Amino acid sequence: MALSRRNGRSRVTLLFLILTSITVLTLDFRGEGAGVIDRVRHTATDAIAPVRDAADSVFSPVGSAFSGITGYDHLKDENAKLKSRIADLQGAQTQNEDAVRELRELLALDHLDWVGNAKQVAARVVSAPVSNFEQTIELDKGSHDGIKVDMPVVTGAGLVGRVVDVSGSRSTVRLITDPSASVGVRMARSSATGIATGDGAGRRLTVGFIDVNADVRVGDLAVTSGLSGGSDIYPASIPVGRVTRADRQPGELQQRVEVKPLADVAHLRFVKVLQVTP
Amino acid sequence: MTPAVRVPPVLLLAVVLHTAVFPQLRLFGVAADVMLLLTVATAIVGGPERGALMGFAAGLLADCFLQTPFGLSALTYCMVGWFVGVFQTRVLHAVWWIPVLTAAAATAAGTVLFVGLGAVVGQDQLVSSHLPAILGVTALWSAVLVTLMVRLLRWAMMVDSARAGLVLR
Repeated sequence: MALSRRNGRSRVTLLFLILTSITVLTLDFRGEGAGVIDRVRHTATDAIAPVRDAADSVFSPVGSAFSGITGYDHLKDENAKLKSRIADLQGAQTQNEDAVRELRELLALDHLDWVGNAKQVAARVVSAPVSNFEQTIELDKGSHDGIKVDMPVVTGAGLVGRVVDVSGSRSTVRLITDPSASVGVRMARSSATGIATGDGAGRRLTVGFIDVNADVRVGDLAVTSGLSGGSDIYPASIPVGRVTRADRQPGELQQRVEVKPLADVAHLRFVKVLQVTP
Repeated sequence: MTPAVRVPPVLLLAVVLHTAVFPQLRLFGVAADVMLLLTVATAIVGGPERGALMGFAAGLLADCFLQTPFGLSALTYCMVGWFVGVFQTRVLHAVWWIPVLTAAAATAAGTVLFVGLGAVVGQDQLVSSHLPAILGVTALWSAVLVTLMVRLLRWAMMVDSARAGLVLR
């Protein structure tokens, strides 16, 4: 008897909580309570930031050890490979510097913007993806440092993602590998355009809408096209990745193309936020 | 010291573990879902009503750090808390592995519920080929951590083991 009465009361509580959740969910979804909800979200993020920073600095060596235990041999190998690669790249860089100067001059003649001229804010990655479902990272800079929603985020290698949420001292970046992210891309060699969508952590990007007759080969460089890719818009000419697969299936209207991101989005420590909003 | 004084620090601790500590300790790229575990452990210790309330609070806190619609975790976790609470009041004289199994099963079920409800509100990207790994690893983490979490909550909610429905030594 007592048990069932208690269960009855808890059922009322549950019903109340479910209805409250659905109300909050609906408000957020329809964007009507967005101001209030965003403020609550941002206040919570900012308030807990110092505690998380402390915990992060204590536990990141533990985390590194945790992943290092399994990958030590791999790291030694990789180190040797990287050293020889640096030498190659230094050579290529000197050639590129001249090309960049030429490009800048040509674009300036036509009064066109180039993304390489954009102001940049360097930021430290303070949190890996918190959720198992989202590919988002958190940066230690926010609106106080001039970061706004929709700004592109890059590393020296290439595109990382896009700012989706900003509070005073933090900002959240959706990585290009997130399943809900999409990037309008152009193949640098053949100018074929398509839309690259994420497929989760550690996976390649799938590029849709590439014409069957377009000349796309493995190894081609994909850069942002500046065209709207689904919901996300990026400025043109940011390197995204290299083509790892390009198949034509008989009877299909588009090619199957996969791109491997140039930036190692799973192990980011520092990134740059480009201060341009498309 | 009343539960009202002890529970908030436990919640804060859980948020720190959830957002800063366990994301560093990933297996197959999957981290523990501490907020869901907190909900399950509360329900094991305190029954359906407290389970649902804690689920709601923990869910809202988890939502602060997610891009999915605000309230989705709160909705999922309060339901999980209630069901686990109802389940635990029916199981008397339990052995140690019952809460361990409960935590693993409830975590997996809660994650499926989250994905399902997410899909209903248009978050189709939650359904992916990565889901089985997420279910397996979060359930495993919960099974490993539940004993500690139950002890912590028993302290916070000032419930002694004799009055709780379970015998967890």
